[in-house]
Amino acid sequence: MTTTSSTAIEPEASGIDASTRVPLLLLLGSAILWLVAGGVLALIASIQLHAPQFLSRCPFCTYGHVQAAQETALVYGWGINAGLALSLWLLARLGGAPLRAAGLATIGAGFWNLALSVGLVGIFAGDMTGFAFLQLPAYVQPIMLAAYAAIAVAGVLAWTGRRTAFTFATQWYAVAPLFIFPWVFSVAQVLLLFAPVHGTLQAVVAGWFGQNLGALVLVPFALAAAYYLLPKISGQPVHHYDYTSHAFWVLLFIGGWAGGRHLIGGPVPAWVVTTGIVTSVLLLFHYVVVAVNLAGVFAGRRRTALRFVAVGLLAYLLGGVLDAVTSSRDVAEVTQFTFFSAAQTQLLLQGAVTFMFFGALYYFIPRLAGKPWPSAGLICANFGAALLGLVLNVGGLFVAGWVQGHDLNQAGVGFAAIAAHTRPWLLAATAGQALFLLGSLALAANFARLLCVCAKQRAAELLSPPATLEATVS
Amino acid sequence: MKSSPLFFLGLFAALAFSLTALVLGTNAQYGRLAPYVDETQGAAFPQQSPGLAARGHLVYQDLGCAACHTQQVRRADFGSDHARGWGERQSVARDYVFQDRVLLGDARIGPDLTNFGGRAANAGLDASRILAFLHNGQGEMPPYPFLFEVRRVVGQRSPKALTLSGQSDYELMPTPRAEALAAYLLSLKTDYDYPEAKPPAPAAKPPEAPAKPPAAAAPAAKEDEKK
Amino acid sequence: MSTSPIDPRLEQAAVSDESLLSAHEKILHEKPDMQGGYSLLPLGLLFFFSGLIFFAGTYLNRFSGGFDALVYNENLKPVKGGAAPVKVDPVAMGKRLFNSGGACVTCHQPTGQGVPGTYPPLAGSEWVQGSPDRVIRIVLFGLQGSVKVRGNDFNAAVMPAFGSTGTFGWSDEKIADVLTYVRQEWGNKAAPITTDQVAAIRTAEASRSKAWTQDELLQIK
Repeated sequence: MTTTSSTAIEPEASGIDASTRVPLLLLLGSAILWLVAGGVLALIASIQLHAPQFLSRCPFCTYGHVQAAQETALVYGWGINAGLALSLWLLARLGGAPLRAAGLATIGAGFWNLALSVGLVGIFAGDMTGFAFLQLPAYVQPIMLAAYAAIAVAGVLAWTGRRTAFTFATQWYAVAPLFIFPWVFSVAQVLLLFAPVHGTLQAVVAGWFGQNLGALVLVPFALAAAYYLLPKISGQPVHHYDYTSHAFWVLLFIGGWAGGRHLIGGPVPAWVVTTGIVTSVLLLFHYVVVAVNLAGVFAGRRRTALRFVAVGLLAYLLGGVLDAVTSSRDVAEVTQFTFFSAAQTQLLLQGAVTFMFFGALYYFIPRLAGKPWPSAGLICANFGAALLGLVLNVGGLFVAGWVQGHDLNQAGVGFAAIAAHTRPWLLAATAGQALFLLGSLALAANFARLLCVCAKQRAAELLSPPATLEATVS
Repeated sequence: MKSSPLFFLGLFAALAFSLTALVLGTNAQYGRLAPYVDETQGAAFPQQSPGLAARGHLVYQDLGCAACHTQQVRRADFGSDHARGWGERQSVARDYVFQDRVLLGDARIGPDLTNFGGRAANAGLDASRILAFLHNGQGEMPPYPFLFEVRRVVGQRSPKALTLSGQSDYELMPTPRAEALAAYLLSLKTDYDYPEAKPPAPAAKPPEAPAKPPAAAAPAAKEDEKK
Repeated sequence: MSTSPIDPRLEQAAVSDESLLSAHEKILHEKPDMQGGYSLLPLGLLFFFSGLIFFAGTYLNRFSGGFDALVYNENLKPVKGGAAPVKVDPVAMGKRLFNSGGACVTCHQPTGQGVPGTYPPLAGSEWVQGSPDRVIRIVLFGLQGSVKVRGNDFNAAVMPAFGSTGTFGWSDEKIADVLTYVRQEWGNKAAPITTDQVAAIRTAEASRSKAWTQDELLQIK
């Protein structure tokens, strides 16, 4: 690693970045396309909530189909594609060696997105499974499992082949989902689709899978990026780093349990729900430590990537507190089955995970492609539109859900009245989704220009050599 | 963390922890939950729905109805499910043992459907009125015109046709999917009070006196509702 | 730290990857200088975590329903030794039996009025509200020939046997339940019949196979 300030600047780790170029650009290009497609589908679903006549003549576009398609596109298309790209890049960078098995990762990425496309078509045709976050038809799921494993191999090899024995938090958070997703995905496929369990056990298994997908796969991808970007850009080490491993293991050991709280009052044994509630509260420890560690994103000068990470972190922490609060029975009595729960999911996916991914993408895509982003205006547009869209969408859904919950709990209020009460908030949520989609389009346009247009200057010429991080104990 | 094997062991242990307890544990506890045999009635409950209703369950799943409707009734002191007439007791796991794909639902943009057939019987809703409702939609419920087809009347009108306003030459026929869905909806009934569904209330009296099972009142209540 | 203006199109890295790794490694391995002062965070986190564990423990203890598979209400504890078998109300069971297909309701009608000239009424019937020994025998073995109920004669039909001599083969409990039901329905006011009473009569008349006649029944008190 050169620290000389010669005129021929060798950007840091250019060899590593070059080795990751093909699979990662494929993953990222697909991710951004899915983000836009998922955004369109989410907008349609949001419209159908307050205008049920919208697209009702089309047999493929029932609300059930569109809702399943948008969550699949955003989680499996945007979330996992971008997360895998980040994970591979971070593990390669911190491992200090070029990415091995990059060809396998490329093949895996191709198959993942191909199978996902087939799956989306299947969802519109009505082959969806009916399980939340596992809506893909049964005939594509094993292929996607194999494709993910192929991509994950490259990441695991980067971990095992690392130059230093020491591992940083980013590496733990980046490698954990590479193992966890195949395990939970295969268990869910077997127990729900191929050798189904009986009765409400299906709800328990599906809830367990959904919780693991959110908390143990998507969130670690996002946190890996956040833990890397903060010291990397701000030049300060992570505060109180000695607790980071505690937060990591707490998340891993008890994060998978918290899904039981969604089944409160349902036809499952009470202990499943109670353990879900208890673990939702215990997870507060993880959130507190993450907040302490990453508080530095809020301080200092406004850097692009850290702006996004800051919003993502706020959304993540808020989501964690809300999870703990809404798990209690008194609150759940109002919020269960309402838009409030949908808002919590959106806060995690659209707020926490997506914004942290945005920050990471804006940081490392120029290094990957070797050129800076073409347009600063589009970056600002992405940030502004996405932030405003997030606030409107999630805020609108929260209020709509609260109103809906209170109305549902009064037996005399009919569904027509509930629809009238929630309508303005659902309109706000639709406006939010539209704005968010605009932001995503800005990102897509920027990315397209970056790939297609020859930049005036290579990124290598613009990057100044990084300094050395001082190990100041805070 | 320096030791790779230990790290991966930790990952595995973390996942095995929740997998064993939540997934394998519940499976061991009630994976083989059987129907409840009532000696006095000489029948086992729940009872399987007939063929057309089973096909209707597939249509329900296909259309994605579970995105807006739940099929689980909560207990009386948790929400207004009972007050709204959606059920007289909490749904329990035994209610679902014969369903291939349990679609509990997690959003109530529309009403709960666990006992829709029971309610429809009381309200005088028959298949043709349900089909009309599916075609036209109402309020937040979208219309599903593609579940029906418009056909020219040849000879006599079909008895299954819905009335199509303003056109005497054409009739609106439900497709087999629509008929199956209507049959499924009418088959949704809570037909038995299992012991675990109405457990004895926690004794406010001294603990030696076991609480009188309120199940005695349950069959009488069910009887009045059914007949 | 870079001093170049912030260009969002290319974020500058402040530090290198290697130094990032080595710095954090050093942080973990070097204990901070503790000059008599405690850092607040470890203590705070410790208390917080202990509080969470305490909450978790008490909550699990109270609301887990004993980790029983059939406990759906977290406020309840499972019954020790298993739940008692469901005690069914005999009147409700009797009503269900009365109305079951092919049984009593077919002839005696849901109103208990019977069909004039064909099937005798049960409502206000002196037979139904009268001696238990007679009415149990009627249900067990059936009734043939003419019978006078509330001043009218009925001779048109034979009542089938509901005990083991007939096709129904009802148990003692079922017969007791249906009799209890009819003896309190439609304005009838007579004492319930118990399973033991039916069992005693069944044993006493074990050798009988024919339906009873009115004259034979009037011999019995």
